[in-house]
Amino acid sequence: MQSFDFVALTPEIATAALTLILLAIGMLIPAGARRGMQPLTVFGLLGILGYILYDLFYAKMGPAFQGMYFHDQFADFFKILFLAAALLVVLFSGAYIQKLPAYRGEFYALLVAATLGMMILAGAGDLLTLYVGLELMTISFCILVCYLPNNGGSCEAGLKYLVLGAAASAILLYGISLIYGLTGSTQLAQIASRLGDNLSPSLILATVFLLAGFGFKISLVPFHMWAPDIYEGAPTPVTAYLAMASKAAAFAALIRVYLVTLESQSFAQAGVALLLILAALTMIVGNLMAIPQTNIKRMMAFSSVAQAGYLLVGVIAESNAGVKGVLFYAMIYVFANAGVFAVIAHVEPAQDSDEIKDYAGLARRSPLAAAVLTVSVLSMAGIPPLAGFVGKFYLFSAVMSTGYSWIAFVGFVMSMVSVYYYLSIVRVMYLGEGEGLPEIPVYGAAKFTMLFAMLITVFLGIYPTPLAQMALTAAKSLVR
Amino acid sequence: MFKEMHDLFQWAWLIPFLPFLSFLLIALVTRRSKGLSAAVSILAILSALGLAIAIGVGVIQSWNGEEFVGREAVAAANWLNIGGLKIDFGTIVDPLSAMMLFVVTLVASMVQIYSLGYMHGDRGWSRYYAYQSLFAASMLGLVISTNLLQLFIFWELVGLCSYLLIGFWYFKVSAREAAKKAFITTRVGDFGLLLGILFLYNKFGTLDFAALSNAMNTNFQDFALIGGLSYLTVMAILVFIGPIGKSGQFPLHVWLPDAMEGPTPVSALIHAATMVVAGVYLVARIYFLFEHASPAALQFVAGLGAFTAIFAATIAIAQDDIKRILAYSTLSQLGYMMFALGVGSLTASMFHLMTHAFFKALMFLGAGSVIHALHEKQNIWDMGGLWKKMPITGWTFFIGVLAISGVPPFAGFWSKDEILAAALHNGHPVIYAVGLFTAFLTAFYMSRLFFVAFTGPSKPENHPHESPWTMTLPLIILGVLSVVGGLVALPEHNFAFYVHAGELEHEAMDWALAGISVVAGLIGIGLAYTIYVRKAIAAESIVAKFPGIYRLLKNKYYVDEFYLWLIHHIMDGLAKVLYWIDLYIVDGIINGLALFTRGSARTLRRTQTGQLQTYALVFFFAVVVIYLVFAIGEGQLAALNPLAMLGGVK
Amino acid sequence: MSFSVGLSTYLLVGAMLFSLGLYGIFAKKNVIAVLMSIELMLNAVNLNFVAFNRFLGNESVLHGFVTAVFIIVLAAAEVAVGLALVISIYRTRKSTSVDDFNWLKW
Repeated sequence: MQSFDFVALTPEIATAALTLILLAIGMLIPAGARRGMQPLTVFGLLGILGYILYDLFYAKMGPAFQGMYFHDQFADFFKILFLAAALLVVLFSGAYIQKLPAYRGEFYALLVAATLGMMILAGAGDLLTLYVGLELMTISFCILVCYLPNNGGSCEAGLKYLVLGAAASAILLYGISLIYGLTGSTQLAQIASRLGDNLSPSLILATVFLLAGFGFKISLVPFHMWAPDIYEGAPTPVTAYLAMASKAAAFAALIRVYLVTLESQSFAQAGVALLLILAALTMIVGNLMAIPQTNIKRMMAFSSVAQAGYLLVGVIAESNAGVKGVLFYAMIYVFANAGVFAVIAHVEPAQDSDEIKDYAGLARRSPLAAAVLTVSVLSMAGIPPLAGFVGKFYLFSAVMSTGYSWIAFVGFVMSMVSVYYYLSIVRVMYLGEGEGLPEIPVYGAAKFTMLFAMLITVFLGIYPTPLAQMALTAAKSLVR
Repeated sequence: MFKEMHDLFQWAWLIPFLPFLSFLLIALVTRRSKGLSAAVSILAILSALGLAIAIGVGVIQSWNGEEFVGREAVAAANWLNIGGLKIDFGTIVDPLSAMMLFVVTLVASMVQIYSLGYMHGDRGWSRYYAYQSLFAASMLGLVISTNLLQLFIFWELVGLCSYLLIGFWYFKVSAREAAKKAFITTRVGDFGLLLGILFLYNKFGTLDFAALSNAMNTNFQDFALIGGLSYLTVMAILVFIGPIGKSGQFPLHVWLPDAMEGPTPVSALIHAATMVVAGVYLVARIYFLFEHASPAALQFVAGLGAFTAIFAATIAIAQDDIKRILAYSTLSQLGYMMFALGVGSLTASMFHLMTHAFFKALMFLGAGSVIHALHEKQNIWDMGGLWKKMPITGWTFFIGVLAISGVPPFAGFWSKDEILAAALHNGHPVIYAVGLFTAFLTAFYMSRLFFVAFTGPSKPENHPHESPWTMTLPLIILGVLSVVGGLVALPEHNFAFYVHAGELEHEAMDWALAGISVVAGLIGIGLAYTIYVRKAIAAESIVAKFPGIYRLLKNKYYVDEFYLWLIHHIMDGLAKVLYWIDLYIVDGIINGLALFTRGSARTLRRTQTGQLQTYALVFFFAVVVIYLVFAIGEGQLAALNPLAMLGGVK
Repeated sequence: MSFSVGLSTYLLVGAMLFSLGLYGIFAKKNVIAVLMSIELMLNAVNLNFVAFNRFLGNESVLHGFVTAVFIIVLAAAEVAVGLALVISIYRTRKSTSVDDFNWLKW
């Protein structure tokens, strides 16, 4: 073990330290002084983000700890994504957290802990490491989801997430144990070389179990049933972070394990057909179920299910272009979601409601919030010239060049359907009367987050090349 | 500062960027402060002007008649890479764009300074300067575009700015209507342009000017497309439809006179000197396409240009609104530039573009000064005797009239003469005749305007006074340029040396032709003098003799009425049919689909029971189904044996 | 009748344990029992890992054993959070039956 190995772990170590510091401070200082924890978290995360940006461009890349951990552009890209998502969430949730009745000290520590779990997940080169990262993320999220004490919905969501998540972990572990039995190793590189092109019933079983485990986290239909309940019940910033980052983290693991290590198994003929069907189902079910929803968070849950379908299309493309599409889309999805949830987190406490009908007249009551929400959902719907359009274009063109045009067609039709429910929010905001609902001024960090998210969404729609280039480099750094 | 001109050319992107920055600054920061907004805007455009002049000097120094001496002038950054579509965002610096940069920044600076006085006290002040900056940025971006798509984006942006500025006084119904009319009419042309761009991309796989030109020069076999026209000819005509709309060529000219609803400085900048010549510039930029196309394409351009020139000039004779006369005059002069291109003289067209920008901006600003002094009176018959009350405005306007009438040595003389000479020498006698007659008409109606408004007795109800220096200074500067602007034709390296298409041919002045056109101009001025100053011939008696023609001209050949009729009878009828189809068939299908979608969604929704154990059951059931499908699909039938699942383990 | 306890025996026991746990998740109404069922599933995985490590190869490579230890630790953490959640939810609903946890639906 060389000192170089620990250099590769610097961001993770720093994040772990930040978690502990936040936890200690949260316990030590009096409740009134906890206001400063938000800026502290922001600066901490910014520092780590800065280091990773430096790392991405200048550091020497390569596997660390004899292949147990990957230190490559792919992992760095995802770490940047998680940290950006965490930063945005922390920035816009300050006011939301302040208004909670109690226990707000650990919120930031838990959020950073979840981020640490995701970072480990993205860099894991060993199935055991991967599992530890996954559990760190899941357990932190369990606590975050039920962060509204005395709120039945929040607790129920937390419990559902815990039980279903643990069951999904169990099946994932069972798959890992089978792979261990087949190869005598849990390291991704060794597994790939020992398995070769071999295919047996037990290997298929392991592959499917792994898919189910990751599919749960990315809310792939039919493993998606938990998502709407948890999204609705969880505190809004946590919902946002779940949608932005935990999905991306699971995709990072899915790409490493399913697309790279087990490629010849998971992409056997029937495997591809299955994936295509699942992707199509995910897009169809997600978009259809979003239509009748009346709660905006629940609607966003189904919308995020549908987005998982689009992302899976990029994985199916099985090429650098496809992975690049996934990375690009995951990153812009962070900003679109930040816009949407910043607005929800801002509106929710002011009028004590998440119902779409209560967004009536928001354009008059809070013009900036309405504009940001509009731009963000239009980006998710893939309307040019917003970033979502470019992202979908990358994903679908990648899969079309592999020859599965029909899935792109399904995606296209379902994007059209999604315009319907996205625009229904816009219609309510701009045409609704909103009599008797309060004026909602936007200020401070929340205002900054909204503006920033909107600007990035527009900017990347007009000039996507830098991010696309970064994503392509990251995609190429994957060991195949 | 710059060791090589090369370094300087690389900074060309700053020219559009500075006004854009000023737009952002005004929109986001300084919009509450009037003075600051104007200062930011003017500072930006003046810096751009300085840079444009520097680049112009650089171009003159390092141009050998064909290319830059040892220097690369095109810089591009990769902007989009989607699939096979690779689009650059770049800057092109050559004599053509350098001249345009200079003209646009100059006129824009003059207009912005002028607006300090003209727009004084307007409550939309910051908005005005923001739009002005955005317009300047878009127009300059258009000029330095390296490819058709980039150009098209800026093309649409200038259209947008034009829309915003025409409708600047949005509380006036007429301004709103005019803005809409301008936008929609030019959109018709843009559609043709876009089609042309798409087809060209489809064929050549690139939109870069240099690459396109290269592709056409080397081994491109033109082929017949439709109706005896070759592919490139159709492309050339499709692309030309854009300029027809933007540069107000017949039959899409109707928007330009109405666009005079905007503030007068806007008319001077956008609807006289810069935006409307974007169409001419576009044709000049892709002149290689017209050269490779069959002669029909250029003949089409020449014919339409000549027709527009004379058509608009005749209308201008019978108009009474000072700005409308100038607007029709602009249309006529744009026609001049177009037919100059059509008869094959890029040089003459661009030369006229430049001189026209000087004297037409001058006259518009002069008209604005008059309107300002008379408190929004625009009818020339309500004016009179202004020369004495407003000497600077009067004198500079007089220079403008002489320049547009082609009196030597004013700017218009040189460029107009070059156009007419080109028409005759390149074998287009009919067009030459039309051009000559138009020159006569131009001199006549411009002198008519001048004599009626500026000389004669002043009206007692008017109390005009000279405008403030912010308005007269631009007039003086533009006046000087209108005098000397044409002299660039004279020195050893004349205008053709810098801007030309194909082989450089050094044509000497044809003094005989020049003499004829000068005579035509002088006759026009003389006739106007006789009718409107000496009153030797009563204008009323002429009108009485030809009432039909007068009505026809006065009503602009009823083109607007014809369009209205077309819209009311044909379009509305068609629209009713389509509406019915839309309502009952298309909507029926769509609504049916929507109903179906919503219905299925409502049913699907019930699967989300909220029961934890149902979710778990679905989850594991799905795992089993997926496993079975996977295994059977792979032909692993042993998978059906539970023990074999584990048996594969070694 | 010779009956040797080999790898497949352990695997079979593991699979049965896993299925038992699964059944518990589907059928048990008390949420604490559901959490216990999850423990069963995780222990089935542990059994697999340990058996594989014992039978497959080199005893000096302890991947399987180590993994099992990790899983035990993480399962404990999970249950700790789970029980805390149960207490919290019991405060508001006075019930620990999973059938009652259906406020969030549709």
